[in-house]
Amino acid sequence: MEPVIETFESRKKHMCVKGEGLSIPVCDKASLPGTVTQRTCVFGGARIVLMPITDSIHLVHGPIGCAACTWDIRGSKSSREELYKKGCSTDLQEKDIVFGGEKKLFETVLELYNIYKPGAIFVYATCVSGVIGDDIKAVCKKSEDLTGCRVIPVQSEGFQDHNKTKGHWIGGDALLDYVIGTKEPEETTPFDINIVGEFNVAGDLWGIKPLLEEMGVNIISTISGDSHADEIAQAHRAKLNIVQCQKSSNYVARKMEKKYGIPFIKVNFFGLEQTTNSLREIADFFGDEEMIDRTEKIIERELMGVEDETQEYRERLEGKTVALYVGGNKAWSLVRAFEEVGMDVMMSGTKNGIKEDYERIKETVRDGTIIVDDANSTELARLLKKYKPNLLISGAKEKYISLKLGIPFCDFNHDRISAFAGFKGFVSFAKEVDASVSSPVFNLASKTLSKVSKTPKVGGDENAS
Amino acid sequence: MSGVNVMEKERTLIVNPLKTCQPLGAMYAVMGVHHALPMVHGSQGCSTFVRYNFARHFREPAEIAVSSLHEDAAVFGGRKNINAGIKNLALRFKPDLIGAITTCSSEIIGDDVFGFVDTTKKELKTMSEDVKGLDKIEVIPIPTPSFVGNHFTGYDVGVKSLVEALAEPGEPTEKVNIIPGIVNPGDIREIKHIMALMGIEGLILTDTSDPFDSPLRPSVTPTRPYFPKGGTTVDKIRDSANSQGTITLCKYAESSATSLEKKHDVPAIIESPPIGLQNTDQFLRNLKKLTDCDVPESILDERGVLVDLIADNAARYLFDKKVAIYGDPDITTGMARFVGELGMEPTMVCTGANSKTFTPDMEKISKETGTDIDVLFEQDMRSFEVYVNENPVDIMIGPSDGRLLAQDLGIPLIRVGFPVYDRIGYHRHPIVGYNGGMRLMELITNAVLEKYYEPTHWKLQQ
Repeated sequence: MEPVIETFESRKKHMCVKGEGLSIPVCDKASLPGTVTQRTCVFGGARIVLMPITDSIHLVHGPIGCAACTWDIRGSKSSREELYKKGCSTDLQEKDIVFGGEKKLFETVLELYNIYKPGAIFVYATCVSGVIGDDIKAVCKKSEDLTGCRVIPVQSEGFQDHNKTKGHWIGGDALLDYVIGTKEPEETTPFDINIVGEFNVAGDLWGIKPLLEEMGVNIISTISGDSHADEIAQAHRAKLNIVQCQKSSNYVARKMEKKYGIPFIKVNFFGLEQTTNSLREIADFFGDEEMIDRTEKIIERELMGVEDETQEYRERLEGKTVALYVGGNKAWSLVRAFEEVGMDVMMSGTKNGIKEDYERIKETVRDGTIIVDDANSTELARLLKKYKPNLLISGAKEKYISLKLGIPFCDFNHDRISAFAGFKGFVSFAKEVDASVSSPVFNLASKTLSKVSKTPKVGGDENAS
Repeated sequence: MSGVNVMEKERTLIVNPLKTCQPLGAMYAVMGVHHALPMVHGSQGCSTFVRYNFARHFREPAEIAVSSLHEDAAVFGGRKNINAGIKNLALRFKPDLIGAITTCSSEIIGDDVFGFVDTTKKELKTMSEDVKGLDKIEVIPIPTPSFVGNHFTGYDVGVKSLVEALAEPGEPTEKVNIIPGIVNPGDIREIKHIMALMGIEGLILTDTSDPFDSPLRPSVTPTRPYFPKGGTTVDKIRDSANSQGTITLCKYAESSATSLEKKHDVPAIIESPPIGLQNTDQFLRNLKKLTDCDVPESILDERGVLVDLIADNAARYLFDKKVAIYGDPDITTGMARFVGELGMEPTMVCTGANSKTFTPDMEKISKETGTDIDVLFEQDMRSFEVYVNENPVDIMIGPSDGRLLAQDLGIPLIRVGFPVYDRIGYHRHPIVGYNGGMRLMELITNAVLEKYYEPTHWKLQQ
């Protein structure tokens, strides 16, 4: 069988085509040293799931780079506080490595408390604090006792795993162990829910929240987009968890089910059919006739107009191909949305997928779709060159690899500008995807001036080698 | 008599840093070598987040490999990772050079990167019997523990490691080595432009101008593997030992210049970046001193156009305006001197680095401009914020990280330095040389006009 692309022998099994054999690539393995990996570290994984807690300080206990390169880089929006955007570091120095950084950490936490009086202080362990063996838990406990402010250890030593998913879980553990269940809600309703795994990137949450509230659902907390620590503290009283990013947050939902008996359903607010189904499932879960009626009315009202509003985009996008290369969840949750704008998902891949993620992808994509695990930059470039999709969906590091090859790109990561969730989000989604795919520049990118007058293929010059 | 007032940080905590760790600077330095790749010996985040930061500033791909250290390495050492890493990188990319950049974790676990690299090079030699050329790859260890120094010192170590490993005495040349510092493609191109007008061949250590600003030409973009155009070739770096002299445009990252002087008798001139009139004048004098080449009319005309621009507008719109400057130590000193030349008052400069001569240099500028300057030394954006809240200024100059503060306070921000991620084009245009001065003058004046003058004011007409 011909390999999907030329690459190192050990990497070939990380790529497959759906319909051939198992249809699940080898995954969840350490990246090959010396490749330009698109992955990140465990610390990065923990930081991105907690960073959207807006009233909290996120303190990185490590050398300056761990904070300096990661502060205010998550496009999670806030309707209230801006504290989460601050880049805080203990700036560990050589003497701290020798004598230990606990004293410095303690001082730093107290200073932060005095300056900002935050809702919580999350203290992130890094490679260095792990290797020198700082007892972050003890320092957090001591400072919490002294200040009365929540000081929460996040055991996110960067190198502890090849997969940042572990970082998502560690971030989840910090909430489960130190936040959830520490405060009782003033009042409860029979329709209390948490939205788990929604990080309000570009304001996605705000496309969903009004719909849920109109249905009659009461949102106790969002974990963690646009949230306050105090709200997450009350999450244990929900009657239902709905999970949007199932890559990062199934873990938290499962643990809450076990600990508090809160059932969870997996939802997906990307695309019309998925949004509709998700709203119906939530209403069905509560089984309240009035809520079910209201939900149907909301769906009917919201769907009206969407077709008209997206028609122009769909016409241009019809039959175009798209490759997804994302962290995890979007590798399956976007597939239907793309089909709804008339596009064909020809490749779907993740950087950090585990087996259950690839099961999901396999169930969702059509036969013949390329499924890719942990593609490094060279492999990604080769995939793009060989299969020439009309669009790549990925993040900031992949953006310029793709564009340099003349392949249109649309950001679906932290740097996204428009909210894509919900019905209105779908219109923005169609618009932005169309803007990327149909940009005239890619017809003007060919190599010699004599060729400009012909109509080059969108998605790269045929003669490219 | 005006002077400086040094304000050091009075807390342990850093909020919104004005520095990052050493490896970033070393990665930047290696990116400026032709057909070279940085390989970070550390966690995946150590390369990934830097790539993210380069990508958002330059809007270019940044190929940086990583040895992917995991927990077992903390126990058993990272030898296996760096060894396999270099070999994989060599096999896939066949680069001319690999910079093996250490990090905090690889340094703390005590990895002997120099020893590991030696062993791996021997293996590459054996492997070259099957795969031609592997033995020709230069692999340079660059020790940059993240808990020492900052990105600026990391840049210094990066360039120095390259130069010390490669520079080879040979036939003397007419070239002049330039150590540009962490600057933009536009700056390096402006330096080359000036040197071309002077008729001097520059040897840029290292030249990131093309790698970080490369054309989109799908049919010629090499992707198997991807190397950007340009960069200083390994042979040129070897030849740096034979140049007429070295000029640094970064006073605080000077050790490669001093090393070349010590080891290869290449005279070193250590200078601040040529930002503004006097600094650019000094750069030209230094070039003349080393090469005996005259400054041509064309450059004097460029200077004249800048002087003309300042004369036309500075007194009218900029005089006495208070400026707060933050960022890398070299750019802030350069900018402080330049705004002084415009008749503005650099009332405060703030840097995250701890470069030793920074304060004395600011003292000179204070005397020259007649402005009392508050120097926030080894500080962060939080200190900057507290300061400008208490001591209002008219203009802020620095990287994008000040954008939210500028917005809150309603103070115009002139974006300069690294990173600038919320506007486009800033990496392509120079701030150095007379042309850079014109660009800055225009940015500053237009910002002042927009903010401080009524849109219908008669003064705007001329």
